[in-house]
Amino acid sequence: MSEGRLLTFGLFVAFILITLAITFWARATTRNAEDFYAGGRAFSGPQNGLALAGDYMSAASFLGIAGLIALSGYDGFLYSIGFLVAWLLTLLLVELMRNAGRFTMADVLSHRVRRQPRVRTAAVISTVTVSVFYLVAQMVGAGALVSLLLGLSGGTAKAVTIVVVGAIMIFYVAFGGMKGTTWVQIIKAILLMTGTVVLTALVLARFGFNVSDILAAAARASGRTDYLHPGGGFAKEVAGDPVRTLINKLDFISLALALVLGTAGLPHIVSRFFTVPDARAARTSVNWAIGLVGVFYLMTLALGFGATALVGQARIAAADPSGNTAALQLAYVLGEGLGGPVGGDLLLAFVGAVAFATILAVVSGLVMASSTSLAHDYFGHVLMFGRPRESQEVAVARLSALVIGLLAVVLAVVARHQNVAFLVALAFAMAASANLPAIVLTLFWKRFNSAGVVAGVYGGLGACLLLVALSPVVSGKTDPVTGAGLSLLPPGIDFHVFPMENPGLVSIPFGFLCAWLGTLLSREKADRERYDDLAVRSLTGSGSHAQRQ
Amino acid sequence: MGSTPSYAGLAQDRRFRLLKTRFRRLALGIVVSFLSWYFLYILLSVFARDLMSRPLAGTVNVALLLGVLQFVSTFALAWRYTRYARRMLDPLSRQLREEAERQQAETERIEQIMAQRRRIEAWTPAPRRARHRRTSGGVR
Repeated sequence: MSEGRLLTFGLFVAFILITLAITFWARATTRNAEDFYAGGRAFSGPQNGLALAGDYMSAASFLGIAGLIALSGYDGFLYSIGFLVAWLLTLLLVELMRNAGRFTMADVLSHRVRRQPRVRTAAVISTVTVSVFYLVAQMVGAGALVSLLLGLSGGTAKAVTIVVVGAIMIFYVAFGGMKGTTWVQIIKAILLMTGTVVLTALVLARFGFNVSDILAAAARASGRTDYLHPGGGFAKEVAGDPVRTLINKLDFISLALALVLGTAGLPHIVSRFFTVPDARAARTSVNWAIGLVGVFYLMTLALGFGATALVGQARIAAADPSGNTAALQLAYVLGEGLGGPVGGDLLLAFVGAVAFATILAVVSGLVMASSTSLAHDYFGHVLMFGRPRESQEVAVARLSALVIGLLAVVLAVVARHQNVAFLVALAFAMAASANLPAIVLTLFWKRFNSAGVVAGVYGGLGACLLLVALSPVVSGKTDPVTGAGLSLLPPGIDFHVFPMENPGLVSIPFGFLCAWLGTLLSREKADRERYDDLAVRSLTGSGSHAQRQ
Repeated sequence: MGSTPSYAGLAQDRRFRLLKTRFRRLALGIVVSFLSWYFLYILLSVFARDLMSRPLAGTVNVALLLGVLQFVSTFALAWRYTRYARRMLDPLSRQLREEAERQQAETERIEQIMAQRRRIEAWTPAPRRARHRRTSGGVR
């Protein structure tokens, strides 16, 4: 290993040691279910805001969007706007959900319905499915990234990395619970913001703080006239094929819809609503998250355009065709400009460690959310009829973290050579089609009932999975020039019927439709009193689960 | 879950209805404005590329400006929501919550007294007391 890589490795180890120490402390101070699932509800608004931002800003957005902007120009920016605007919907829902629930989305959904076990089971299935898909995407990315940073190559190195990342993540959750996981998120968010601010400041300084100059230099370096125009990356226009062009455009609108509606239904975001003492702190935390996420995505513009201007598209694409290494290459070039090769190595090692922290934090947030759901909702409320011993339920939660973590590791190792970036967008689409209709209708529709929740969740989730299975993502997509397969399955197999890669445009309305039809078609009558009770609780915070003294 | 108290009684309260109307009007306004503005921007990016590519100042074009404005509008709407909630929703919801919790405490107190009374009655069952009285009456 070169000196730079040794330094990178050293920083990884330092981050792991610090976070493991925190995990042990969290283990020692976790006494009951409230501590394990919600960190004792003792986090302040700003702390939880940092953790929310930490949970949300995945490596896909740090490295992925910077790379997207570097390679496809302006269109990468469209992604980040969707990711940010979505938080307004979260801001409107966060207080109601904090007031109405205890630990999970299922708590909110099952409050007013008559058939709680069915509703809880549906919520658990959707939570675990969304989390596992998102987890696999993150872990495959982790395998590629970490082996690249440490200069390892080949399938075995990737597999080993995935296993190590998986083991650390399981340890964080099973031992530290929500308390440990939240502190990991907070540290990661601070590291990520620091890293991005440093890189942005260096890029701006290179160009004399003139934004127009950066853009001009990037456009010049890209050698394309349309680099700063919409259409460079998404919704491509195919000359002479108006149908294909329209499908491409609808596909992009579909993605935009899923991004903006999915965030409020992501399990690892929802489970963070309950870690604060009351609804006001929850609102403060979302406001903090909006500020952090917004500033972060604005800075990714500087990173992306800066990478194109200073590193060059050819070198970025040579290192990784999807541009995931753009931010890292930029860090090296910027560091080199300051202090020669040593400076380059230093900055690269630091940004690499930030990326590593980002991956570990996001995956542990996802495992935390799904094991909470399995233990609290499925074991506690479905199997034990809502009367488990608290210590027993927490033990099941720790075990669930192990099971979910192992499942994700196995899937990620199997899929380590695939390009699974589409799974991130799919997770957002599933959250928007399965979870959002149930949440919104539970809070605002008087007549909504158990059958409606169940139909909406399964309908939305099923539609998403089916449409993706029948889409060009899974089969039948080939490169028009080389004829090489671009789908998950090898080129010979083609059963794609659905033309779009993003199911949201169809599956989100379908989820709402199922929830509505399910309600109307069942003979079950909504419980008016419980609906009124939920309305009062959610808006006033009466009887909400407060911080235990 | 069966033993958790119900606050449904407050749903008909005039102040609660006001709170609900205010929240729903605010939430609807924000959802409609940010979704329509966001999708206007997306649709322009997809279908009106010539307009979006028009340069404004140096290399900054309409698309980049509108994109940055999406950030600005998100911050502004979040700020507006928070300000309105602090002024128009929080005081009302605090008042209702305190009242609900007072009522709840009162109900619990009454239930406790009733339970105590039932317990006392169960310790000295009526029939035996009657029998005792009867026998003591017989002695007298």
